[in-house]
Amino acid sequence: MTKASNTLFALLTGATALTALPAMAATLTVARGVDADGLDPQQVSTTQSSQITNLMFDTLVTLDASGEAHPGLAESWEISDDNLSYAFTIREGLTCHDGSAFTPEDVVFTFDRARDPETKNPRLAQYGPIESVTTEGNVVTVTMTEPYGPLMSYLGSFSIPMMCQGSVTADGGFEPVGTGPFKLVEWSRNDHITLAANDAYQNFNPLIENPGRPYVDELKLVVIPEAVARMAALRSGEVDLAEPSLEEAALLDSDPAFKVYSADLSGQQVLTAFTWKIPPLDNPDVRRAIGMGLDRDSYAMIAYEGLVSPTTCPAAPGLIGVDLEKCAEWGVSYDPDAARAILEGLGYTQDSPLEVKLSVHALPGFDQMHQMMQQNLAEIGVQAELETREVAAFFDHMSQENMRTEGTPVVWTMGYSGVDSDYMTTMWKTPGFVNMGLGGEMDAMLDEQRTLTGDARVEKLQEIQKILLEEGYAVPLVSPGWNWLWASSDKIDGFKTGFVASILFNDVKIAE
Amino acid sequence: MLFYVARRLLTAFITILVVVILAGVLIHVVPGDPITAMLAQSGSADADDIARLTAQYGLDQPVWKQALLYAGNALQGDLGTTIRGGEPVAELLLDRLPNTIALAVAGLGTALVLGIPMGFIAAVNRGRAADFAVMLIAILGVSIPGFWMGLTFIQVFSLHLGWFPVAGTSARNIVLPALTLGVVHSALVARMTRSALVDILNEDYIRTARARGLREHQVLLVHAMRPAMISVVTVVGLVFAHLLGGQVITENVFSWNGIGRLAIQAMLQRDYPLVQGFIVIFATSIVLVTTALDLLYGLLDPRVRRR
Repeated sequence: MTKASNTLFALLTGATALTALPAMAATLTVARGVDADGLDPQQVSTTQSSQITNLMFDTLVTLDASGEAHPGLAESWEISDDNLSYAFTIREGLTCHDGSAFTPEDVVFTFDRARDPETKNPRLAQYGPIESVTTEGNVVTVTMTEPYGPLMSYLGSFSIPMMCQGSVTADGGFEPVGTGPFKLVEWSRNDHITLAANDAYQNFNPLIENPGRPYVDELKLVVIPEAVARMAALRSGEVDLAEPSLEEAALLDSDPAFKVYSADLSGQQVLTAFTWKIPPLDNPDVRRAIGMGLDRDSYAMIAYEGLVSPTTCPAAPGLIGVDLEKCAEWGVSYDPDAARAILEGLGYTQDSPLEVKLSVHALPGFDQMHQMMQQNLAEIGVQAELETREVAAFFDHMSQENMRTEGTPVVWTMGYSGVDSDYMTTMWKTPGFVNMGLGGEMDAMLDEQRTLTGDARVEKLQEIQKILLEEGYAVPLVSPGWNWLWASSDKIDGFKTGFVASILFNDVKIAE
Repeated sequence: MLFYVARRLLTAFITILVVVILAGVLIHVVPGDPITAMLAQSGSADADDIARLTAQYGLDQPVWKQALLYAGNALQGDLGTTIRGGEPVAELLLDRLPNTIALAVAGLGTALVLGIPMGFIAAVNRGRAADFAVMLIAILGVSIPGFWMGLTFIQVFSLHLGWFPVAGTSARNIVLPALTLGVVHSALVARMTRSALVDILNEDYIRTARARGLREHQVLLVHAMRPAMISVVTVVGLVFAHLLGGQVITENVFSWNGIGRLAIQAMLQRDYPLVQGFIVIFATSIVLVTTALDLLYGLLDPRVRRR
């Protein structure tokens, strides 16, 4: 070997971080398109991040498939009659990843740190109006300044995970130390995260069958941004599980060598909204007519390859207060003839159409759905100019469009997700998500549902949805709405998805 | 010479300073802000939260103030921390810079290995079928989008032949991205080689060498190819500088853990400090490489120093 080739070899091998692919049978390799943006569960914002933190941190309560709360790190709880005080009895005998015992003090530490401005917690709003968190013996009492209906849902989701005090190091740094089924081995940002099974794990999640330690020894989550490359890695056996593109998911679904999983509990859906301050979209009849022109069944079957379902409620199926049949009555269904008649009555015909912008952001399935929407709208006398932006620019654009009261009206689509229908508050209460808030009576109703529990809250949530649908502010389209699809080889058994597209590996077994 | 070196270094420093300030200003012109993007993905886009976090990250300050503050810190080696995850930007980028350099070196090596023989074949067969064929291949190489070529290589060499892994950052993984970059950049090398060699083959001393009865391969390889390589070397620096920053897409396609891939995610998330850090590192690399080339020219050619 010459001196020059020696030098080149040294550069290629020495200067490169070697990350050999695992060959152990008990290692599960998972390919995702995007990495976590952090591992601190009180600082992360994306679902992709929480999918990881949810593997390392458990929750006080757990949720079954119907969304009902079950014991988690808290073995029981009592809620005061005025719904202001929640007393959680913390389970004994639980161990943190650093070997320390999980105690009520860890729970208090979690709440205190989450509410500390220094933490910069992007999900602080979901904690609700907490007045104090105190402990006495094995009981932690969370006291609210006013009733907060969604609390138990959020406590059972990855929004409010419980941390061990060892998560904060002596110098103020952060180490992910929880009680979850996996503990951190290594994180190379934007490349891979390696987790090891927590031998001391005890499971209380009703969605999971395995009562103890995960069956796999190691979980390696690699980042492969390009969908084509991700699928090549899955098909070649380089990874065991991957996020497929919609087109690939449809192909793999019919291939017996692969399995496709949809996030049925994701709490996600896509809806059409309007810049309702700009005429003529300030007229509910126009908004409803546009809704009647949208063929959501075709979007689900064609644009989404049949991997999602048409939906009718402003909040996602499965969440509290969501009744698809009632929503179908309150909202509009596909009826282009009726839509055309309404718009013709208002002076809009195919020769003299209503001109709107159809503003969207790039997402798998979105492109084809919006082209179909454009055709649907043309058939009822609405000429829609399609404009697509990348996500961050789209939010910025819609924040400005939703403030306007004149100019070209905008029909736009968006997706939202959550573990509780309370996310309608984030969306519709003034100023609302990208300034889409409705104000007035709607704000008061959204505030009120937070103070209620049980049937009273369900009733209020349905009242809210009825207005959103009858007034045509929201036209729900499909659920779940975007790429929370997974595919694995047929050697993988037991993979599950949970709430808000969380990923559960406790039951996963890899066939020889 | 000393004055020349000082002048080049001062120009390099000013260029980097301007880039740092411009990066700080221009990033705010791009629609979308990091806090709205972050909260929209957290299911908690509460207006109070947006205002609170915007202030906590200092994004409520005037743009010029943010840009100057950033420039001041950057010149002291502090590139800040990421908005997403709160990690030190300099550490993140410098951890990945060796991977990016390794891929740039491998890509450049591949470009030379492919491009020089192609240029040589074209030059010695000037005007004949082989010349046209080689130049056509070179044009095709540079015309095919890098990401498409990369995905095709994955389909062929990873999925169907199973020769190389699809994704990752290791010695085995470097082959396909290096080949992708090499094919794209070999066209320029081939054209430079051909052009230089064609000129040299018309020189009197080449005719003299042939008249003296030297064998053709001696004439071509020793008397013609050596001087032709001087022209090729001048493009090597430029290709290398381009590869350092221009392999963002290739890194993404092959999941190569370099700074380009990190930059793409940062741009989509509007993670200002990380994007600015990338621009600073990228611009500094370009400026250092071009400055080194300028100094080398000055050393080799006194006329350059006098200009």
